Amino acid sequence: MAVVVFGATALLLLSFAVGPNATALRQLAGGFLWVALLFSSTLALAESFRAETEQKALEGLLLLPTTPVALFYAKALANWLQLLLVGMGLLPVLVILYDPDLARLPEICGILALGSAGLSAPGTLYAGMASQVRAQQVLLPLLLFPLVVPVLLAAVKASSLLLLGDPMGQVGSWALLLLTFNGIFWPLCGLLFGAVIEE
Amino acid sequence: MTGGVVIGGWEYVWAAYGITFGALAAYGVSLWMRVRKEARAAREEQG
Amino acid sequence: MGLDLLPRPNPRGPRIGLALIAIAVVLLAIGSYIGLFRAPPEHYMGEVQRIMYVHVPTAWNAMLALTVAFVCALVFLFKPSWKWDARLEAALEVGVILAFLLCVQGSIWAKPTWGVWWDWDPRLTTTAVMLAAFLGILALRRFVEDPIKRATWSAVGTIVAFADVPIVYFSVRWWNSLHQTQSTPETVDSAMVLPLRINAFGVLFLMVGFLMLRSWLAQRRLAQELAPPPETSRPSTSEERSLASTLELGGDAR
Repeated sequence: MAVVVFGATALLLLSFAVGPNATALRQLAGGFLWVALLFSSTLALAESFRAETEQKALEGLLLLPTTPVALFYAKALANWLQLLLVGMGLLPVLVILYDPDLARLPEICGILALGSAGLSAPGTLYAGMASQVRAQQVLLPLLLFPLVVPVLLAAVKASSLLLLGDPMGQVGSWALLLLTFNGIFWPLCGLLFGAVIEE
Repeated sequence: MTGGVVIGGWEYVWAAYGITFGALAAYGVSLWMRVRKEARAAREEQG
Repeated sequence: MGLDLLPRPNPRGPRIGLALIAIAVVLLAIGSYIGLFRAPPEHYMGEVQRIMYVHVPTAWNAMLALTVAFVCALVFLFKPSWKWDARLEAALEVGVILAFLLCVQGSIWAKPTWGVWWDWDPRLTTTAVMLAAFLGILALRRFVEDPIKRATWSAVGTIVAFADVPIVYFSVRWWNSLHQTQSTPETVDSAMVLPLRINAFGVLFLMVGFLMLRSWLAQRRLAQELAPPPETSRPSTSEERSLASTLELGGDAR
């Protein structure tokens, strides 16, 4: 999976920005994990539409007896799964470079799931757009990154709390924020996807 | 938080007002020049 | 389908827009004069507080412009017509300019107040994020050549970005509350209400005037793009030919 390698490289480069300072690296582990995942998502999301653009298969897909909405959810779910796997693939790299405490691993995976879902829904919508124009590599991050700021804030906060300690039990609230974001954007992006790919 | 009083600071006030009104004026002027050009073209079309 | 008809911009539009702008200039001159030279300085913040007389009106109108954009996007998706795409483009551009100015003003205000150029105030941070989001949509419009796709996608992007505003705000506010709360002061002395209101109306009239001029321009440009005048000797691209063949010319386009 080239995307995991890309994410791992990003984690490595980010660690260089901090230097061999074990304390600082541990503090920043949560944040850098999500930055690396966000960058990786642009690759993964663009890939998910590459087959259609290269072989002009988008028209072919539209001829299938499925609605655009169903097509959206199929792609978005696939992207979600892929991002989740990339995230989990990055955890070992994170452990090696940043030495975080993985005691609450199941919950960390939960946050990975919620966060990837938050990236996947609007990401699939925008990837559908970007794949149809020339400047797609610029367009997808340009549109996606400002939109998923809440996902990034919540996921980073929650991950940092899980990795560093959460004395006041705030992780649940951040998870709720992620759930709310998903609850709004999975339906909304699905609804709007039809307008994006109709010819 | 010093809990004190901010002394002076007029240069910040001028900067804020200056940039705001300057940018808005520049945008307005550019809009107006484009509208004039288009309006002239529209008049010529109708001949 | 509404997109078969070419846009026919209202010829009186620019004149009304210009009148509004003229009124706005007068209002802003009066309001700013009072705010800068007549209103009393605030107790803790001194003269720097006078920035509020432009900052608050800019904030209200930036939000208003982006809300107008949202409404235009909705209307366009439900009842497509080039008029609403033109208005969307205008509202996006004006909203982005006001949001940018808001960030600049907020930064200039923060430096003497907090000693840093950016204090992560939730409202201002949300504005910065939204600035990026809506700038992205303006960039999207430049990258897409097909007018129908451009209009539809900008509408979709605007709706998604606007839906995100409250979530961004709450997430930033919450993220920031775990550190110190530093927010811009809300309470306004009664002596300060007058210049604030005058400037608020001033910026409002300015914004509406800009919207009218800009959407008139957008409609003109759309009309030329969709059915270029035959005097142009350059051969039309296959895209223009196919577009022209699917369109019926509406009314008195020329």
